[in-house]
Amino acid sequence: MDPSSLNTAELQHFLNQEKERAMMNEMVAKLTSVCWDKCITSTPGSKFSSGESACLSNCAQRYLDLTLIIMKRFQSMQ
Amino acid sequence: MDFSSMASQAGGSNPKMPTEKFMYHFKSQMEQAYAQKFIETLGRKCFDKCVTKPGSSLGGSESSCVSRCVDRYIEATGIVGRALFKANQ
Repeated sequence: MDPSSLNTAELQHFLNQEKERAMMNEMVAKLTSVCWDKCITSTPGSKFSSGESACLSNCAQRYLDLTLIIMKRFQSMQ
Repeated sequence: MDFSSMASQAGGSNPKMPTEKFMYHFKSQMEQAYAQKFIETLGRKCFDKCVTKPGSSLGGSESSCVSRCVDRYIEATGIVGRALFKANQ
């Protein structure tokens, strides 16, 4: 396909959306991997214990808090 | 992820592929890549959790562990996804 025809506004918008979607999916995948390792310490059961599901949810949120702290600290160093 | 080369690939050799068809093919390539990556991750995680000492075959308890592991990991993906979605609001 001629790459120059990718310059229409419609296609740019589409590609930006897909890029955004891919980045979100990547973030969720990475976090799930990290939080699974942290929170699911025993053999997987037929459902999560309330502790396990709380841990997973907390893990994701705390990671976001951490990201914020890191950015602020980094900015204060500039 | 190199979007413009994926985009060129989705268009194939047709220089005037209609936008809609291109978008459809692009999306399905993205979905395929995602599914493949997800399956690889499932394999790693569930092998780690369920096959602690590889024997000459997969035992019954190992097989059922893998099934539960797959279900739980998919569930975990949902929990993490929702937590991130809420935070973004």
